[in-house]
Amino acid sequence: MKKWLSVLLLVSMTVTVLAACGSSNSAEKNESGTTKKKVIAWAWDPSFNGAALKIAEDLYKKENPDFELEVVEMAKTDLEQKLNTNLAADVKDGLPDIILVNDPNIQKYVNAYPNTFADFGDKIDYTQFSPYKVDALKVDGKMYGVPFDIGSTGMFYRSDYLEEAGFTDADLQNITWDRYIEIGKIVKEKTGKYMATINPNDEALTSILLQSGGSWYITPDNKGNFVNNPVMTETLRVYKAISDSGIAKPVTGWSEFVGSFNAGDVATVVSGVWQVSSIMDAKDQSGKWKVAPTPRLGIDGGVNASNEGGSSWFVLDGSANKDLAIDFLSKTVGSSSEFYERFLTENGGVGSFIPAFSSEAYGQTSEFFGGQAIYSDFTKWSTEVPGISLGMYTQEAKDALKNELPNILNGADLTQSLANIQKLFEQQVQ
Amino acid sequence: MEKKWNKSTIAGWQFVLWPSLIIMLFSFYPMIQSLLLSFQSGKGTVYSFVGLKNYVRLFSDPMFRQAVSNTLLYLVIQVPIMLFLGLIIAYFLNMPGLRFKGFYRTAIFLPCVTSLVSYAVLFKSIFSVDGILNRMLMSIHLVSEPVGWLTDPLWARIVIILAITWRWTGYNMIFYLSAMQNIDPSVYEAASIDGASKTRQFFSITTPMLKPIILFTAIISTNGTLQLFDEVVNITNGGPGNSTMTISNYIYNLSFVYTPNFGYAATVSYAIVIMVAVLAFLQLKVGGEKD
Amino acid sequence: MSKLNKSVIHFFLIIASVISLFPFVWMLIGMTNTSSDIVKGKFSFGSSFSDNVSHLFGSTNLGQAFWNSALIAVVGTLLTLLLSSIAGYGFEIYRTKGKDRLFGILMLSMMMPFAAIMIPLFRMFSKFGILNTPVAVILPTITTAFMIFFFMQNTKSFPRELLQAGRVDGLGELRLFTKVYMPTMKPTYAAAAIITFMSNWNNFLWPLIALQSQDKKTLPLIVSSLASSYNPDYGMIMVSIVITTLPTVLIFFLLQKQFVQGMLGSVK
Repeated sequence: MKKWLSVLLLVSMTVTVLAACGSSNSAEKNESGTTKKKVIAWAWDPSFNGAALKIAEDLYKKENPDFELEVVEMAKTDLEQKLNTNLAADVKDGLPDIILVNDPNIQKYVNAYPNTFADFGDKIDYTQFSPYKVDALKVDGKMYGVPFDIGSTGMFYRSDYLEEAGFTDADLQNITWDRYIEIGKIVKEKTGKYMATINPNDEALTSILLQSGGSWYITPDNKGNFVNNPVMTETLRVYKAISDSGIAKPVTGWSEFVGSFNAGDVATVVSGVWQVSSIMDAKDQSGKWKVAPTPRLGIDGGVNASNEGGSSWFVLDGSANKDLAIDFLSKTVGSSSEFYERFLTENGGVGSFIPAFSSEAYGQTSEFFGGQAIYSDFTKWSTEVPGISLGMYTQEAKDALKNELPNILNGADLTQSLANIQKLFEQQVQ
Repeated sequence: MEKKWNKSTIAGWQFVLWPSLIIMLFSFYPMIQSLLLSFQSGKGTVYSFVGLKNYVRLFSDPMFRQAVSNTLLYLVIQVPIMLFLGLIIAYFLNMPGLRFKGFYRTAIFLPCVTSLVSYAVLFKSIFSVDGILNRMLMSIHLVSEPVGWLTDPLWARIVIILAITWRWTGYNMIFYLSAMQNIDPSVYEAASIDGASKTRQFFSITTPMLKPIILFTAIISTNGTLQLFDEVVNITNGGPGNSTMTISNYIYNLSFVYTPNFGYAATVSYAIVIMVAVLAFLQLKVGGEKD
Repeated sequence: MSKLNKSVIHFFLIIASVISLFPFVWMLIGMTNTSSDIVKGKFSFGSSFSDNVSHLFGSTNLGQAFWNSALIAVVGTLLTLLLSSIAGYGFEIYRTKGKDRLFGILMLSMMMPFAAIMIPLFRMFSKFGILNTPVAVILPTITTAFMIFFFMQNTKSFPRELLQAGRVDGLGELRLFTKVYMPTMKPTYAAAAIITFMSNWNNFLWPLIALQSQDKKTLPLIVSSLASSYNPDYGMIMVSIVITTLPTVLIFFLLQKQFVQGMLGSVK
């Protein structure tokens, strides 16, 4: 008898649960039946990207008080999984109106899922944005989204360590990587501190080096760019030199990387401007940091500027609220200097909107960084970043490189290695 | 041979019918679709029929070969160690008269539920170049230079094996412990009276009586290791180079990291299915279904 | 058992326990420290616990996610136990060649990596119209070949004489299952419950895909979202991880006495 009761209980519980879910589902459907001016966005990092959208919502509401925005946050890799699954299943159900897209993925998405993303065309004045960001959004003559945050790189350095090693700020301006390595050796000798970290599993550094030379892992027409590419050869030569020189502390993950500079183990961090918030987490290091331009490759076309990361906002073409979403983004992220000023002041985010660069917010000095007006420096450097085409197969190319990297670091013949990488890449993209 | 459709036979089929149908619907239907997809290739939603070309591609695909060799390495080394450890621990924890059993049981089970994200970060920290382990090894002069646990292909694979063993031994221990409850304690008592040592009892009583469960854990662990994904992605991310990458890792990359080729990803998935099926079949044959 | 043997066994088990517990202890310590202390490798308790907690609850809807996870895990586990045990019982006790073949086919279903069937499954559920509900998350898990296999193997040591005795007493087939089999197999059910609950509670990939809105999310999704940031707050993440880990530990505590020899009494 007891058993039957428990089975009955179980069944009725299940039925109730299912019924409740069913009814809440239909309640939701009723709600969206009435035309609410609501837009749904998917993004990662609520304190950065999510917060930016909230600022935009705030600004847009001034002219459109019945506008509502829902931000669904999830990890970046999770978003990519979800998006790909949803689109691959050919299911409209559940897709948002706006998504955040990491720049190297742009061409991949547009080509793999045709007619999925809205063309912004003339809704935005793209001349007001950093050219290299705009280049990334152009596919087959159409403009697919709104440029958002910028990853303009710089060399963050501990002015106290460098001073102890006998270097002034002037010594660090516009140097080459070979000079950087020389300085690093002296820093290590005189202060015992590493100059930088190195993570052989992470291609952030090689990406920065390549772009600073105006090149990329793949050519604009999506072929492997490993052979007959002087920038690639020089990039790997420099990378190996850094690894061999003993000035770089090996790390194997993000938290170890952040831990290194938070603990004061390294004298420099070459990274995008968004690294500022992690660096500033070590409150006891205030006043001890400054920023200099990114070191350059010692070859023709090498500049002291590059990019790391950065994303853009896309709108889904099939969404019911497409026009609303496009309007929302155009009026805020797409054209409002006020948006960018607030984004910087409230969340430390640097955008690629040129008119905002001359605002007061962007000109502020930072006590943490020894009184330097870091943002105006970063935006100045962003104008020097070479524009490149990120292509469709960035990830495959990076993985092919990653595969061969241990051999290169162990001293294998570089030309042979590059040929191997090229071959591996070609196999991956058939 | 008369087939008697008596009450018993009907009941037997009724018991298995609904669950089987559910599995058919939620697993087999998608699996068939995936099989069809494995004969297509392309990017994203732009693909076309290519017949067996994907399957042929498997054989000349260096990434796939690397992934298979890594995965098989984990299988052959890690699974036997883990099952054996789990069995011994369960045996100890089943002994009457041993104190603190509850504590040990809970402690050894805990790794299964410790969040992947957190223990991955921790493992990375312990095995890092200036992490605790290296510092300890150097201070007792076992090594003169820090070991590149995560930067050297061989050591990285060992770290993965250690991580998996750490994580799943407790899981298998649970299965063995619960199965041991079905062995009548008087069997052990009689053996002790006869003078058999605990070790002897382990090998002659426990292990044979636990055969169905050992077979179960062997098949399940084989299945799990061939589909290994979490540890590899979170601790070494397939690296250094691609020396720790597994097949599931590769499938994930093909679907969500590279320009998506769902057709080829489906093909690689079926490679796993075939491998697991063959191994399971062999294990079942060896494990013997004589009763 | 000699004292020496006992000490050796204890020594071995203590080492095993310390190795197993170490990361968990680290998590607990991490809960009380600031993010930058954690990445620097601090291994002592700090004073940021309440900060981390308030930060966590202030920036996420953890309570709602907890409830979502609990609903899915509990209902899912109960259904799985029922369906898998009855099927395992059916396959083993009423064993026939036909059923053996059927089971062999069913086993194939556990060999497929989930990522490969995710897309067709998603399409199917979209057609059913149940995306973004707990139902969608629970359904694919309620019967698995894995659990059926588990019950089958454990049933091999189930004494058939009990069933005979039951039949003599006039019990019908279903009654035999509920009144004779289920009570005897308590340790097996306990193990199955722990394993299934753990798997449902920590389920990540399918809930990620099937759930769309913020308020339907389960705990693992929230934790993953927190950990992916330009500047992750590790203190907050540790708190969320500990909260996510506790329910399974609790279930284990509650059910583990089923694993104590002799408590259940023997099968007589």
